[in-house]
Amino acid sequence: MATEAAPMDEKAKRMRDLLSSFYTPDPSISTPTSSISTSFDNINGPSFDADQYMDLMIKKSNLDVLLQRHVQMAAEIKNLDTDLQMLVYENYNKFISATDTIKRMKSNIFGMEGNMDQLLHKIMSVQSRSDGVNTSLFEKREHIEKLHRTRNLLRKVQFIYDLPARLQKCIKSEAYGDAVRFYTGAMPILKVYGDTSFKDCRRASEEAIETIIKNLQTKLFSDSESIQARAEAAVLLKQLDVPVDSLKDKLLEKLEQSLDGLQINPDEASKLAEHNVSSKDEESNNQGPAKIHEDAVRGFSEAMRAYREIFPDSEERLFKLARALTTTHFENMELYIRKRVSAADFLGIFREYSAFPPADVLLLSNSLRIIWEDVVLMDEVLPEAALSDLSAEAAQVTLKQFVARTFSHLQQDISDTLLKFDINQKEVVDGEVLKVVLEASGKAEFRQLLDENTGIFVKMNDLLIGWIQKGFQDFFSEKIHAGLILVLAQLSVVIEQKVIPRIAEEITASFSGGNSQAFIPGELCRVFHAASEKLLQHYIDTRTQKISNVLRKRFKTPNWVKHKEPREVHMYVDMLLQQLEEVGKEVKQILPQGTFRKHKRSDSNGSNTTTSSRSTTLHSDKMARSNSQRARSQLFETHLAKLFKQKVEIFTKVEFTQESVVTTTVKLCLKSLQEYVRLQTFNRSGFQQIQLDIQFLKAPLKETVEDEAAIDFLLDEVIVAASERCLDATPLEPPILDKLIQAKLAKSKEHNNNNKTTVSS
Amino acid sequence: MQGGSSGIGYGLKYQARCISDVKADTDYTSFLTGTLSLKEENEVHLLRLSSGGSELICEGLFSHPNEIWDLASCPFDQRIFSTVFSTGESYGAAIWQIPELYGQLNSPQLERVASLDAHVGKINCVLWWPSGRCDKLISMDEQNIFLWSLDCSNKSAEVLSKDSAGMLHSLSGGAWDPHDVNAVAATGESSVQFWDLRTMKKVNSIERAHVRGVDYNPKREHILITAEDESGIHVWDLRKAKAPVQELPGHTHWTWAVKCNPEYDGLILSAGTDSAVNLWYASASSTNNKAPESPVESTRERVNLLLNSYTDYEDSVYGLAWSSREPWVFASLSYDGRVVIESVKPFLPRL
Repeated sequence: MATEAAPMDEKAKRMRDLLSSFYTPDPSISTPTSSISTSFDNINGPSFDADQYMDLMIKKSNLDVLLQRHVQMAAEIKNLDTDLQMLVYENYNKFISATDTIKRMKSNIFGMEGNMDQLLHKIMSVQSRSDGVNTSLFEKREHIEKLHRTRNLLRKVQFIYDLPARLQKCIKSEAYGDAVRFYTGAMPILKVYGDTSFKDCRRASEEAIETIIKNLQTKLFSDSESIQARAEAAVLLKQLDVPVDSLKDKLLEKLEQSLDGLQINPDEASKLAEHNVSSKDEESNNQGPAKIHEDAVRGFSEAMRAYREIFPDSEERLFKLARALTTTHFENMELYIRKRVSAADFLGIFREYSAFPPADVLLLSNSLRIIWEDVVLMDEVLPEAALSDLSAEAAQVTLKQFVARTFSHLQQDISDTLLKFDINQKEVVDGEVLKVVLEASGKAEFRQLLDENTGIFVKMNDLLIGWIQKGFQDFFSEKIHAGLILVLAQLSVVIEQKVIPRIAEEITASFSGGNSQAFIPGELCRVFHAASEKLLQHYIDTRTQKISNVLRKRFKTPNWVKHKEPREVHMYVDMLLQQLEEVGKEVKQILPQGTFRKHKRSDSNGSNTTTSSRSTTLHSDKMARSNSQRARSQLFETHLAKLFKQKVEIFTKVEFTQESVVTTTVKLCLKSLQEYVRLQTFNRSGFQQIQLDIQFLKAPLKETVEDEAAIDFLLDEVIVAASERCLDATPLEPPILDKLIQAKLAKSKEHNNNNKTTVSS
Repeated sequence: MQGGSSGIGYGLKYQARCISDVKADTDYTSFLTGTLSLKEENEVHLLRLSSGGSELICEGLFSHPNEIWDLASCPFDQRIFSTVFSTGESYGAAIWQIPELYGQLNSPQLERVASLDAHVGKINCVLWWPSGRCDKLISMDEQNIFLWSLDCSNKSAEVLSKDSAGMLHSLSGGAWDPHDVNAVAATGESSVQFWDLRTMKKVNSIERAHVRGVDYNPKREHILITAEDESGIHVWDLRKAKAPVQELPGHTHWTWAVKCNPEYDGLILSAGTDSAVNLWYASASSTNNKAPESPVESTRERVNLLLNSYTDYEDSVYGLAWSSREPWVFASLSYDGRVVIESVKPFLPRL
C-alpha cells in the first residue's frame, strides 16, 4: 500500500511542477532548489542528464525493475501528452471569444457624433434667451432695493423717536433688562447724530436711563431683593457703563460697618456664659443672645455669599473682611482675658472655682466655641480663605496667653500668700492656701480647660498640656517653697490619674476617627508620672537639705575631743524634731494617707518588733561588754551583729503617701547624722552626749515613722559609729540617761504649756 | 560574701576610707589603701591584681603610725606615696617611701621621706600633679593651701608658697588640673574655689554648697565634675561656670566621691553613702543638646545615663579609684574595710 501510494504522489507532484513551469515565464527561477537537491534522478530538473540517469539505472537495477520502469515511463509520457492537448485547446477557445467581443464593440460606436452636435446647438439657444430676460428686469429690481433701504432707515428713526416713551414704559413695568437693551442699541446713533435733530429725543432718553440707573442702584442696595435680582441689577449697571467698582466699595464698606455690630461683645458673651452657668432651666432665655448672634453671623455669611456671586472678582476683599472679623474676635477675647485675669483676686476666684465651675474658663471655652461655629459658617462660603487655619492659630495664641497669664497670676498669688505666711508664721493659713490652691488648680481649672473638645481643642490638647508643664518647670526652678513643690507633685499625680484618662475618653467618644492620634494618653501619663516623682524627690531633697544644715552646724562647731560632760539633751534635737514636724504637717495636708497603714501597724507588732528588740538587746549587750573588754573585738562584733541582723532596707522607693514621705525623710536624716558622726573623733563625754541625744530621739521618731525596725537600726548605727570614733567609749549609766531624758521631757512639756498659755491669753 | 557579683574582694582588718591607684607601676595593676582605726595599729596595704585578673594579692603590708584619712600614690615613683593621718587630736601629713626588698624583710618599715608639717588645723588632703613628673605637692587644711617643693633624694620638703582661704570657707578637699599645672580646685563650705599656683591667689569660684568630691576630666580641658551631699553630680565647664553643663541624679543619700575615667571620655564613677557605686555615661554629645525639645526625651535620656549600679556593699563607700593601667578596672573601698575590684567592661555602651 505504502509503495503504491508513494509513486502516485510523486506522479501528481511532477504533473503540477510541469504545469507550473509551463505557465511561469522563467522556469529557472521557480525551481532552482529542487534541481539542486535532486541532481540525477529528478527528470524534471533542468540539469537532468538522460545518459547518466540511464547508466545509473542499468547499473543499479535488474531487468525486472528496468522493465517496470519502462512501462511506468511510457504511461507518464502518454498522460503528459493528453494534458498538453487539453491546455492548447482551452487557450484557443478563449482567443476566439476575445476576437468576437472586439468585433461587436466596433459596430456599436457608429452614429454617435451626430447626436452630440445636436445637443450643443440646443444649449447655445437656451443661454441667449436667459440673457435677454435678465437685461429687461434689471431696472425694476434696482428700484425695489432702494425702497427697501429707505424703509429700514425710517424704521430706525421711528425707534429712536419712540425710545423715551418706550423706556418710560419699561420703567413702569420694571423691565429694566429690555430698557437697557434698547438703550444700548440706540446708543451709537444717538452718539453720532445726537447734536442734530435727535437732540430732544436723546435728552429724554438719557433722563429715562438715569432714572433706570437710580432704580437699579436702589435695587442693588436693598437687602430685601433676591440675590438674583441684585446680581442682574449689577450686571445691567455694568452694561450701562456705570462705575461698578465704586459701588462695590460702597457695598463692602457697608458690610464692614455691619461687622461692628457682629463682634462679640465681651460683656455680652459673659452674660451668655453666665446664662449657661446659672439658669439651665431657662432654656428659652438662655437661647436668646446666642440665637441673635448666630442669626447675625448667618446673615453675614449670606451676604458674603451674595457678594461673591455679584462681584466675582471681589474675593480678596471678602477674605480680608472675614479674617478681620475673626481677628477682632480674638483680640476682643484677649482683651477680655487680660481684664478678667488682672482684675480678679485670684485666691477668691479659686475659692469660687471649688464651689462651682469657673466662669472664667467656661467663658473662654464658650466664646471659643462661638467663634469656631462662626468660622465654620464662613468657611462654607469662602473655603479658599483658610479661615479655620487662621482661627486655629489665633485660638492657639489666645489659649497660650490665657494659660501663661493664669500661671503668672497663680504664681504671683502663691508667692504673695507665702510672703504673708512668712511674716505671720501661721501655718494654718499656709495649709489652707496649699489646700485651696491644690483643689482649685487641680480640680477646677485644668479639668475645665482640658475637658473641652471642640474642634480647636482637639488640635491643641497636647500643646496645652505642654504649656502647663512648662509652667510647672518654671515653678520648679524658682524653688519658692518646699510645700509648693509637694503641691505640684500631687497635682501631677491628679492630672496623670484623673484628667488624662478623662480627656482620652472624651476624645475617643467624640472622634473615633484619626484625629485622636495627636493625643497619646499613655505618653502623657508617663511624662506626668515622671514629673511627679521628680517633684516628690525634690521635695524630700530640699527638706533633708535643711535638716542636714542643722546637723552640719551641730557637728562642725564644737571641739568634740574636748567635749564637756553631758548635762542635757542638746538643742539641735529640738530643731530636728521641729523640722520633721513641719514636714509631717505639710505632708498631711497634701498627700493621701497610705491605705495599708493599719495593716502595717499590726504587722509590725508581730514580727518586726522581735527583730528590733533583738537588735537592741544585742546592742546593749555589746555596749556592756565593751566596757570590760578592749575595743579590739568591738569592730568584729559589730560586723557579727550585722550578720545576724536582717539587713534593713534603708533606701526604699518613695510612694505618694504621708507615711512613706515622712519615713524616707527621717531615714535620710539619720543616715546623714551617722555620716557626720563618722567624720569626727570624740572623747568620752562627746560620745555620751551623742548617746543621750539619740536615746531621746528614739521615742518621738518611732511615733512619727512607719518602719520602726529601720529607725531602730539607724539609731543604733549612729551610736556604733560614735563609739568607733571615740577614744574612750564608755556609755552613760542607764539611770543617768533616764534622768536626763526625763528632765528634757519635763522641760519641753513646760515650754509647750507656756506657749499654750501665751497663745490662749 | 560577694554572691553573684563579678567583683574581686579583699578584706582589710579595720575600717578604711581611702584607696589610690599606683599609677607609676606599669607592670601590674596595683592599688594602695590604708586603714582608719583610732586605737589599733594602722596598716598600709599594697594590693596587686594577679595577671589573670581573677585574684587580688597583698603584695606588701606596712604599719603606719596613725589612722589614715587620705592616701595618694606618687604618679612617677611607685614606691612613694603620701598620707594624711590623725592621732585623734591632731593631724599630720607625710610622704613615705616603701623600702626596697620589702618582700624579704619580716616587718618592713615605711621610710618617711618628708613631713609636711606646716599645718595647724585639720588637714584634708595631699595632691600630686596627676599627669607626670612634677616635684611639687599641694596640701590643704581647713583654712590654708600650701605648695611644697619635694626633693626625694635629699628627703626634704619646703613650703614654696601658701594662701589662706579664710576662716569661713573651711576647705574639705580638692583636685589638681591635669591640663594645667598651675590650676587647683578646692572644695569648701559654700563653693568650689580655684587657685592659680603662680600667684597663689584665688582666681575663680563656683558657688555651690556642700561639695564632697571633685575631679577634673583628664580627657577634656575645662571640664570639672563635682559630687554633692544631696543634689547629686554636676558637670561644669569652667569657662562658663554660672550653671552646670549637666546634672546626674547621684545617689539616694550623699554622693561622696566622683572619678573620671582616665581613658574613656564621659565615663564617670561615683560612690555614695547609700552603699553603692554608680557608673555613669555623660557623653559629650548629650552635654551639647542640653535643652531637649520635650520633657519626654529628657527623661528617657536621663535613664540611659546610668550604666550600672554596683550595690554589693555593706556600708558607705568612701574610697574609689580607676586603674590607669587597665582603665576598665576600678577599685572601691567601703567603710567596713572591703576592697572590691570591678570591671566596667560588660556595661560599656557601644562607642
